[in-house]
Amino acid sequence: MGLKRNVSLSTGLRYKGQGPMLTFILHRIGGLGMALFITIHILASFLGGKGGAFVNSIYENWVFQIVIFFCVLFHAINGLRITILDLFPKLIDHHREAIWIEWAVFIPVYSICVFVIVNTALGG
Amino acid sequence: MEVTVKIFRYNPEKDQRGNYVTYKIEADENDRVLDVLEYIKGKTDGSLSFRRSCAHGVCGSDAMRINGRNMLACKVLIRDVGANITVEPILGLKVKKDLIVDMEPFFDNYRKMLPYFINESPLPADGRERLQSPEHRARFDETTKCILCAACTTSCPSFWASDEYYGPAAIVTAHRFIFDSRDEAADKRLQVLAETDGIARCHTAYNCTEACPREIKITKAIGEVKLAIITGKLD
Repeated sequence: MGLKRNVSLSTGLRYKGQGPMLTFILHRIGGLGMALFITIHILASFLGGKGGAFVNSIYENWVFQIVIFFCVLFHAINGLRITILDLFPKLIDHHREAIWIEWAVFIPVYSICVFVIVNTALGG
Repeated sequence: MEVTVKIFRYNPEKDQRGNYVTYKIEADENDRVLDVLEYIKGKTDGSLSFRRSCAHGVCGSDAMRINGRNMLACKVLIRDVGANITVEPILGLKVKKDLIVDMEPFFDNYRKMLPYFINESPLPADGRERLQSPEHRARFDETTKCILCAACTTSCPSFWASDEYYGPAAIVTAHRFIFDSRDEAADKRLQVLAETDGIARCHTAYNCTEACPREIKITKAIGEVKLAIITGKLD
């Protein structure tokens, strides 16, 4: 007897991990976002014609591009951090600093990307 | 000060699902969460169930989720968690009653790591102990501190997804023997850890390191075992 062990997504997300858990979650969201982008991209090519053009209009939308840029950039930078720490476990002593460096790289680069996308979309 | 404690309750004989019961009690800010639970059990509601033994952070019995994070109730002071406290069982293991979980899957994984010293070589000429240099001893010093409280394993998203994953505590135990220069079964343990449910399921969320009440750098230990599997070297 006893309650099932199932941990729902909402229960897991409510666990109060620290900064590393946030990057863990964002990494997964980034991966899913990229998978979605690639699926839509393939779908647009596959459909062609009016249907393809409609799907094209979704992923060429500037709001969608801002989201996708977040996914790609965060996934790439975070992946790089994970790879470096996996290859050099001694650096794991400084994993918190590594995460700060990651944000220090991500925030300005992403901000520039967002600025360019918005500027192009609204300014022409 | 008045402390409001919201506790997850589940009685397998009556309840289909768990619920939360709130207790208001007087406590000192220097009391531990365990003291508060003991008070509630002793004075307010004797049916409250939780594990505890040494009450000094050594036995590892009272790991639970306190305000959303895994901690040992005997090591957390009220002043550190505030006057509103939520206490829940650790995640990923069946709840047997209230804050008590079924630890058997956790210990099943622990046993898979061959958590004992293996050396079939003859004893040294004097027939006494197998000596080890301080440097060799220091190699695995960190992972000898584990008290098997399960705070790390049950904070791990990979373990939440599947209890087939051996989990951080089991890997910490494996690390303790793999890097012991006197032990001769490192290959066997690395083989077990190289399986599907082994080391590859660690996705470095660091929840284990954050949750460990003994401050073991668990993700680092897992990283060292990963590298040993990839390179085949223990240096």
